[in-house]
Amino acid sequence: MTDLTPTPDTIARLRDEFGAELAAAETDRALQAVRDRYLARKGGVIAALMKAVAAAAPEARPALGKLTNDLKTDIEARVAEKRAALDASRAPAGAVDVTLPGRLTPLGHRHPLTVVRDQMEDIFTRMGFAIVEGPEVEDEWHCFDALNMPAEHPARDMQDTLYLASPLKGDGGADDVRTLLRTHTSSMQIRYMQAHTPPIRIVVPGRVYRRDDLDLTHTPAFSQVEGLVVGEGISLADLKGTLTAFARDIFGPRSRLRFRPSFFPYTEPSAEVDISCWKCDGAGCAMCKRSGWLEILGCGMVHPAVFESVGYDAERYTGFAWGMGIERVAILRYQVEDIRLFYENDLRFLEQFPY
Amino acid sequence: MRLLVSWVRDFVDVAASPEEIAEKLSMRGFEVASIEPMPGGDAVIDFEVTANRPDCLSVLGFAREIATMYELPVHLPVDLPSSESGAKIALRSTAAGDSERLKVSVEDTELCPRYAAAIADVTPGASPAWLTSRLQAAGVRPISPIVDITNYVLIELGHPLHAFDLAKLAGAELRIRRAKRGEIITTLDGVERKLEPEMLVIADANRAQAIAGVMGGAASEVSQATTVVAFESAYFKPASVRRTSKRLGLKTEASSRFERGADVSVPVVALERAIALMEQLGAGRMSGPIVDRYPHVRQPAQLYLRRARLAQLLGTEVADREVERILRHLGLGVTATPDGWDVIAPTFRVDLSREVDLIEEVGRHHGFDVLAPTFPAQTAPAPPPDPRIPRDRLVRRVLTAAGLSEAVTFGFIEAKAAEAFARGTAAGLVNIANPLSAKFDTLRASLLPGVVDSVAHNRRHGRADVGLFEIGARFSSIDGETRGVGLAWTGHAADDWKSGSRSVDFFDVKGVVERLCGALGVSLRFEPIESTGTPFLVPGQAAAVFADGAAGKDAAGGVRAGVIGLLAPAIADERGAPRQDEIFVAELNLDVLWAGRTPRDEAVAPLPRHPFVVRDLSIVVADTLPAEIISGTIHTAGRALAAPLIGVRFFDRYQGKSVPGGKVSLSVRLTFQAPDRTLTDADVQESFDRIVAALAGAHGAVQR
Repeated sequence: MTDLTPTPDTIARLRDEFGAELAAAETDRALQAVRDRYLARKGGVIAALMKAVAAAAPEARPALGKLTNDLKTDIEARVAEKRAALDASRAPAGAVDVTLPGRLTPLGHRHPLTVVRDQMEDIFTRMGFAIVEGPEVEDEWHCFDALNMPAEHPARDMQDTLYLASPLKGDGGADDVRTLLRTHTSSMQIRYMQAHTPPIRIVVPGRVYRRDDLDLTHTPAFSQVEGLVVGEGISLADLKGTLTAFARDIFGPRSRLRFRPSFFPYTEPSAEVDISCWKCDGAGCAMCKRSGWLEILGCGMVHPAVFESVGYDAERYTGFAWGMGIERVAILRYQVEDIRLFYENDLRFLEQFPY
Repeated sequence: MRLLVSWVRDFVDVAASPEEIAEKLSMRGFEVASIEPMPGGDAVIDFEVTANRPDCLSVLGFAREIATMYELPVHLPVDLPSSESGAKIALRSTAAGDSERLKVSVEDTELCPRYAAAIADVTPGASPAWLTSRLQAAGVRPISPIVDITNYVLIELGHPLHAFDLAKLAGAELRIRRAKRGEIITTLDGVERKLEPEMLVIADANRAQAIAGVMGGAASEVSQATTVVAFESAYFKPASVRRTSKRLGLKTEASSRFERGADVSVPVVALERAIALMEQLGAGRMSGPIVDRYPHVRQPAQLYLRRARLAQLLGTEVADREVERILRHLGLGVTATPDGWDVIAPTFRVDLSREVDLIEEVGRHHGFDVLAPTFPAQTAPAPPPDPRIPRDRLVRRVLTAAGLSEAVTFGFIEAKAAEAFARGTAAGLVNIANPLSAKFDTLRASLLPGVVDSVAHNRRHGRADVGLFEIGARFSSIDGETRGVGLAWTGHAADDWKSGSRSVDFFDVKGVVERLCGALGVSLRFEPIESTGTPFLVPGQAAAVFADGAAGKDAAGGVRAGVIGLLAPAIADERGAPRQDEIFVAELNLDVLWAGRTPRDEAVAPLPRHPFVVRDLSIVVADTLPAEIISGTIHTAGRALAAPLIGVRFFDRYQGKSVPGGKVSLSVRLTFQAPDRTLTDADVQESFDRIVAALAGAHGAVQR
């Protein structure tokens, strides 16, 4: 039994002992035991101490009585405090572990080519373009002849174009016979111009096909976004302005464009467009092969022969067009080193792209 | 085109460094593939020359471009004194006429508008080092002085020459004619080639000695023993050379120039250049005049460039002086008129045939980079997008929300895969005539082979739960090009820490299909497919999907929009998925679904003001009885009852203890509600009893 000789030292020791026991009490039951040990009316330490104080020398009694009362008040307060702390630490009835995962089918992911395409469509929609689509199986006239690529043009070589073994019927009546897989979305320029009059402002996303082997940088099928603007007074400066606005929207406001003269049969003048490398801001890095520029698309003013093939007045109307590979943009943007990843559909790859 | 910078300096006195020249030319339409430094500050710049600029497959062509860039004159070789020290060789002015030693007859002037030739007596020897090193820099292998001379002129002036060993020609004559059917020639590369009548050849009295514009023949090849040569310098019709080269699968330096368009004015100049070079090298001497068969002399193109059109198309004004400077330096004839310029485009610029071609030349050298960007004014509102755009976006949203990820696969697949998914149906597979690989030789009639292959790829990489879909075109000789959505799902449908996991089954995929069609506003009907109907699906777990609202309905009032079911294990295995995998698939024709949308009344229905009453019913029926029939019977019986029936929902299906064999216990929740009053128990009970009686009568259903 604890020594309860009523002295200030004893009281101080009891306070320390209580403190240690209270700190060790981590459950309601242990706390109750500590409380009972000290505060029980019968057999409690404080009660016993009180008795001992009552039996002490009268001159020491008031001081000891006060010390004992203070200890009792302190113990009561600290027990209450600890009880509250224990209560607070305990889960309320029906409590759940809110950090466990929620129960709902996880979202699937859009394909990265769709993510890029959707973004392009949205940007051009804001610029007043209509988004249209065209058939993947085409005829030679829409894919080549009407685009100023006569029968002997090199782009029509069997090397580049995939032809069907048996023609497919189109939706344009008995004469509509499709014989090849389109090599570019430009064939839809022709279909759209045949069905509409200027002003025209369209964007044509879609898949195209080439007779290419599958390797790190080539696929026999890929996706393009084609643009066409036709009206009165449309100029090369307008082409620059439109594509610059697009590039700043999709690649960031610091983007700069460089227009290098080039050649396409269906545009004149023609240009290839480079964008300042957004990784190094044009300073030169591994991504842009130290040049500071990334080739991003081909474009030009619509060749008058194209207007003539759809019966437009090539004197009155001018226009511009461009064609851009969606894979190309996605490869640069997401720093994808192997184009085949886009077609393997490995979920470890797809899940890195947004819903 | 590999351009040796010191070579081009023969023509234009440009002091700039090779790097600067390359950079400036790359901004004028000539992409630079590489710059290789050469001894003495020299360099070879490898340019990509676009198809419209055959004139730039030559040193002279680049000299004109560089001269324009730096505002310098071009010295043609004829302006230069013959020099002993090096490469500067003048033309040799030579008389034209008929040769006594060679008869030249052009039998097809359409395919060969011009043919020039010259005879030379040659002496054996070796080419000097300056010449062989220039050829090597240009990427041409030195062979013998005569061949080297023809190649030198080819690189320098861009005009292909050929040399025949005259002693080996029968009859000392050259006949430019079409090949005879089945005629055979062994070309310089040692390959025996069979010719066709649309091909043009250079023949002697007996047989073809060269394929015009493509390659010479081995029989009359120049060798160390050659003493007399006939140089050929001709102009062949580009389309004819291209066709011949393509048919024979034979592409040469000569054919690639002729097929894009050589300069019809240059053959005699090229011969004179070759002869001057030969005589300077001591490789031979010319004998007799140059023979030149050129019956219809082609005039350079006369064009007109309007000042206003130039400014309008480029979107900027270009000073007159600048326009004239650019065009003149490029070698064009320019005469100012009040509102523009008369322009003569020389024959070496085969790409200049209309005004816009001149605008491109001015723009190219004025610089696209100096144009201030503008945004085109919009003068009409944008029309709505192709309806497939919002439709496909909606499909994509619904399917990704259902937990499936989007796949993209190729539009062509291997025949084996296409056939596996086409068996038993009239798929109308279409093959590719010239596939590069057997893996891609058939157009897909279904999206499923591609999606299933992608599932198999993920399974092989250890992924347990795989759900993929693809939206894309399908091709068939019966339906043409249609757009569909295909999906494949395997593994667990639900997997969480509390309720554990459950494997994907038919109804998970059906749920996705129903949700998709709900979002599109299409009502569907599912019919079991007979075991022979779709062999790629497992019988008993396969259904055809019909869109009820579609035009062109069948007898039952719907149009077949697709299929749904469990993939046959043999096919899953064949496509590389683990054999025990249960892959559930569905494919829907989006065009059919879109056409089958049920028109919706947009007006909102008022909310019911009286409470509904629910009654659960459990019945035992034959287990072969489709739920759809039962709900049909319930709905029929529920018509015009005291208590209107507004909802029928199956909530349990049980077979086992207390249910006899061949039977099934079905539980249905019936909801009754009247729009105008609160239903009484008696009303509901009477209606409920009538439904039970109808089920008993129609199906022998017993209430449990």
